[in-house]
Amino acid sequence: MKYLIPIALLIVLAPGFAWGQDWVVPEERKGRLSTFPFTDETRQSGEKLYVTNCISCHGTPGKGNYISLVPSPGDPATEKIQKNSDGEIFHKVSTGRGQMPSFRNILSGDEIWHVVSYIRSFNKNYIQKVMQVITSSAYPGAVIRMTMGYNEADSTVFVSASAVDEKKTVAVTGAGVRLFARRYFGMMAIDEEKTTDESGKAAFRIPAGLPGDREGNVHFSAKFTDEDQFGIVSMDTILLAGDRTIPVSLLAERAMWNNVRKAPVWVLLTYTIGVIAVWGFIFLIMMKLRDIYIIGSIIQGKKSAEAITETENQPT
Amino acid sequence: MNEISFSSQKEQGKLDSVASDVLRNVRLSKGFIIWIGFLFLALAACLFAYIIQLKEGLGVTGLRDYTSWGMYIANFVFFVATSLVGMLISSVLGLIGYNWVKPISRIAEIIAIAFAAVAGLVIISDMGRPDRFPYLFMFGRIQSPILWDVTVVTTYLVLSLLLWFFPLIPDLAISKNRLHGRPPLLVKAYEILSLRWEHHESQYRILKQALRILLILIIPTAFAIHTVTSWLFAVTPRTGWDSTIFGPYFLSGAFVSGTAAVIIAMYFFRVNYKLEKYLTPFHFERMGRVLILVSIVYIYFNLNEFLVPGYKLKTGDAIHLRELFTGHYAMLFWSVQLVGLVIPVILLLIKQMRRPVPMMIISAFVLAASWLKRYIIVVPGQGHPNLPIQNVPVEWVLYKPTLIETAVTMASILLVLIIITILSKLFPVIPIWEMAEDEHDKEKLSGNE
Repeated sequence: MKYLIPIALLIVLAPGFAWGQDWVVPEERKGRLSTFPFTDETRQSGEKLYVTNCISCHGTPGKGNYISLVPSPGDPATEKIQKNSDGEIFHKVSTGRGQMPSFRNILSGDEIWHVVSYIRSFNKNYIQKVMQVITSSAYPGAVIRMTMGYNEADSTVFVSASAVDEKKTVAVTGAGVRLFARRYFGMMAIDEEKTTDESGKAAFRIPAGLPGDREGNVHFSAKFTDEDQFGIVSMDTILLAGDRTIPVSLLAERAMWNNVRKAPVWVLLTYTIGVIAVWGFIFLIMMKLRDIYIIGSIIQGKKSAEAITETENQPT
Repeated sequence: MNEISFSSQKEQGKLDSVASDVLRNVRLSKGFIIWIGFLFLALAACLFAYIIQLKEGLGVTGLRDYTSWGMYIANFVFFVATSLVGMLISSVLGLIGYNWVKPISRIAEIIAIAFAAVAGLVIISDMGRPDRFPYLFMFGRIQSPILWDVTVVTTYLVLSLLLWFFPLIPDLAISKNRLHGRPPLLVKAYEILSLRWEHHESQYRILKQALRILLILIIPTAFAIHTVTSWLFAVTPRTGWDSTIFGPYFLSGAFVSGTAAVIIAMYFFRVNYKLEKYLTPFHFERMGRVLILVSIVYIYFNLNEFLVPGYKLKTGDAIHLRELFTGHYAMLFWSVQLVGLVIPVILLLIKQMRRPVPMMIISAFVLAASWLKRYIIVVPGQGHPNLPIQNVPVEWVLYKPTLIETAVTMASILLVLIIITILSKLFPVIPIWEMAEDEHDKEKLSGNE
């Protein structure tokens, strides 16, 4: 096979660029190559993924503004990271180590290659080597196809794999398959790894209450685990296998941050009762001014009446 | 004309002497006209600055995206703070039973009314679009401390006005027939405002009942007014404001500035109104003790406010405290804390320093420092926004009040002085009947009757 030569070369040369690092990548992983050529499209996709997943620690490539951790995350544009082979970067992103998380379940294989593609765009001397054929060593010459479906009766998602070449279609048996559901951040593994049976099928139990979108749709991703034997085989599909989730707006319920009509009851009560109580007293006190006035009027009335009587009674 | 229910000749004589001493100042003297003329002239000049601001917008001030609350809000906090003294003197000390506060209580109420009334206007001066002020009531959120603040400031102003007016009613009745040679309009006003007061027992009963309710009611209101003002800051996560003790910290600081303001006013009235008989060195001595007490409480809260974050030194706090302790605001900070708080307390512990003249000088420092302290609370924290604001001109980062801003702030201070001048010039500044009653009681106690 064509890629055996570069692999062999890399194996021979590996110590040359892997030396000095304590993060040792298994020999068979080092020479792994992307199955597609890096283009502007893959670099853009990679940049987006980098900004979401990597930038918080590694900083903007070329700026050296990675955060200070031990061991240092490093700037992807620098020699330290660029001297890794594509396979090494892919492996390190997939597996993670220490504070670096594993992205195996968060990004798909293709997505990790997109990130590699973005990182490589900061290396002028980089010339990509592409793994050219996507075929399986188990089914030489055939392309592996998958179909997926949801069985509502026992709430399982089944994956059915077959190897197709020009002449015939055969079920892929004994292949390890994993199933993931997409979520806001990365992917969530569903059930455990399954092996395809004689008919090429593997069934995954869907946990009760798996949240879907408004209609109950869930984005699934099935992936062969044994990439060495089958190549990278994966499939994405949307199935009506989850619960309907109606997103609740943060402004739906009474809250401090909501508008006045949706103020918390305790705030409304405290404010209203407080204002009514204090202003009630103020009103009462204002009425006392009236009382003082009325009493004064009565006394003055009496006094003037007395004065009149006195004048009248005055002997002339 | 025996209009008062004080029976003996002696009591009547006492009342006459208090009334003539106090009412001597109720007249439009030449000095008063010059002083009020000067105040209004200066106010007009400062209002011109406000008209410029109204036309051009807040751009004429130093307020920018970084520091959006500047001198205006600092001044507002100072005004609200100083107005609290009305509650401290009349209610707290009065209800405890300290009779010596009687001649001071009306001065304290006048200060409370003046500062509380103008505080609301200061807020409007900080608005870029003051025509939208009614929106606060139309669309205001009941969850916002700003709405609570408007409510309690208004309530406090009304309560302070009532607390000033109620004890004034008998005085108006006593005075209305003694105002010979005063403008007829003033005499008419006394006639109307005295509400047909006849010094009748039942009228006194109503008056005392109302006063009692008012004195109690104003305590929670005063606590609310300044606690809510502190919440305008403390409910945000901004460094320097994000503090759980801001309520009592503001409250104790308020008593310091208010007490200082009252002492200055006392000195002024003692000397200019020739009220040495009523505002005696004894009263100054007592007020000195009050100032020591409230200052020590305030120092205690200062210790908490700066030592605790200073011990933990969270990143934001560290930057903020460095700015205050050794950085850009260090000079201001240490002058305020030492000259305006610590040294006055030490000085006031010496008895000779609690005499009228040194007290007045010390209080002037305390009051000025109180104003600057509000500036230190409001402004420095905003220089380091939580979210970095990018690509702004460098002069936006450091706030500096402009001339227009200073003039508008001056206008508010002038307005306070105008209100104090008018209230203290047109109406008795010492409660006549309470003083006469006091003498009456004293004589009774000493068996002179």
